[in-house]
Amino acid sequence: MSATEVKTPRPVMGLYDKPMWESVRAGAMKLQRCKHCATWLYPPGPSCPKCLSPELEWTRVSGEGKIVSWVVFHRHYLPAYPPPYNAIAVRLAEGPTMISNLEGTMPEDGCIGRAMRLVYVTMPDGVMLPRWRYEG
Amino acid sequence: MTPSPLAFGGRHPNPRNKRAAAVIGVGHTDWVRDWQRCRAGEQPNDSLGYGLEAFRNALKDANINRDEIDGLIAGPTTAYERMGELAGLNPRWGDQSDAVMAVSQAVMAIEAGYAEVVALIYGNDQRSVGTQYGGPAAMGGNAHLSYVYHSPWGFTSQGALYALTLQSYKHARGFTEREMGEVSVAQRGWSSLNPNAIQRKRISIEDYLASHYVCQPLHLFDYCLINDGGVALIIAEAERAKKLSSRPVFIEGIGRSDLNSGATSLESRVDEFYLPAQQVAAAQSYAVSGLGPKDMDVLQVYDSFSVHVPLALEGYGYAKVGEAGKFLRESGIGPGGKLPTNTSGGHLSETYMQGWAHQVECVRQLRGECGDRQVKDARHVHYTSDVAGKCFSVIYGV
Ligand SMILES: [Zn+2]
Repeated sequence: MSATEVKTPRPVMGLYDKPMWESVRAGAMKLQRCKHCATWLYPPGPSCPKCLSPELEWTRVSGEGKIVSWVVFHRHYLPAYPPPYNAIAVRLAEGPTMISNLEGTMPEDGCIGRAMRLVYVTMPDGVMLPRWRYEG
Repeated sequence: MTPSPLAFGGRHPNPRNKRAAAVIGVGHTDWVRDWQRCRAGEQPNDSLGYGLEAFRNALKDANINRDEIDGLIAGPTTAYERMGELAGLNPRWGDQSDAVMAVSQAVMAIEAGYAEVVALIYGNDQRSVGTQYGGPAAMGGNAHLSYVYHSPWGFTSQGALYALTLQSYKHARGFTEREMGEVSVAQRGWSSLNPNAIQRKRISIEDYLASHYVCQPLHLFDYCLINDGGVALIIAEAERAKKLSSRPVFIEGIGRSDLNSGATSLESRVDEFYLPAQQVAAAQSYAVSGLGPKDMDVLQVYDSFSVHVPLALEGYGYAKVGEAGKFLRESGIGPGGKLPTNTSGGHLSETYMQGWAHQVECVRQLRGECGDRQVKDARHVHYTSDVAGKCFSVIYGV
């Protein structure tokens, strides 16, 4: 495969997504936290959905979470992702849910509820992705 | 039966909406014919052409003159103006929307006096033009950020959203893979009795369990078909409908409730299965119509994926929360079951018309035109839909 064929699908890059991806590249993921009600936002956006305040502060996440759901893809949709591969939903300790991948192993029955730890993975084309490992 | 006004944030659904309008005509294309032609590499028609064929059939079915029509709704897959141009319609009211919203909008326009006879026309050439529901060009990404936002992690396709929902639903409720299989087995049971259905071969639970995963935990049989076709409906103001038609099918009540919070990160699906919104939509339609789940003879569920069905059974009040699996096993939704559901075979087995053909099946069951799959003496048919957090409940009756 040539380098162009294994291109990691590019993230949606709206105005408010950029700082998040910069923090991922720095290996210290930040999300917006509302200055008024302390709600954390994911995905990033212009204001807090809970209190409508536009005063948000980019704040580093703890990197802790727990797995709330998972799937295994058996169809080839994207060049960078030959099947089988997994995707998981992780509830961050801060509150939001994030769709990502489980690193190191495949998810299996009984894994829902397990503690997770955020890791940073460099894809073959250099894109850095926030992913998750089982804690411990 | 009448729920507390607290359920609707202190506001009562308007009882005037009860039987405000009726379906007086239905039409569709021959999806079996077009399926075969598409598989032979042909492109039998385009989206407009399918819609117009369905419209001609609906006019014939209603037995009315086109001049009676003063409202038009075009489905989301065709340009409104071009559809109106080709249908020869210059209405005094118009809109563009998906299936269940179209029915709801038509009733609203009629109720508000903007139109009396509304044509709803939908056509889709998704099979012959290869519309993508997964991958980088996934359909709907412009309207639903969740369809595209997670692609850097390889998370793509409509099926993945429902697979993720089913996995956490199984965990939360103790719902099993076998119970999930009951849905596609039951719907094949129905489609085997429907000459209009594309997939008519009956399957067993063993066939289901042996079929491959597309996106685990969803098997191949949990996915809808992708096929070409069109559907048209003609909906008229209730008094006008009685004059124009000898067999109007009334819309007894409609409820809607949206759950947008957590839409992009999928929390509303994975944590809540849209349940709170389904319950409010159901309660509103039951309050307007004065009917409840026990009054329904047939249930029609928007089923792009089989998992919609257990969620609907719980959300719209047919099974207690947590007991949809038991309901599927013990009461049954297939031929001979206690709650005939998706009696045409639905999106899984009859045709994937994005909710439009389900309206036709509601009407035909109530007119008693369903042949081998006819549910005896059907008086009330319930249509439910929970696409992308928009939960609808539409009750049809005669
Ligand atoms: Zn806030």
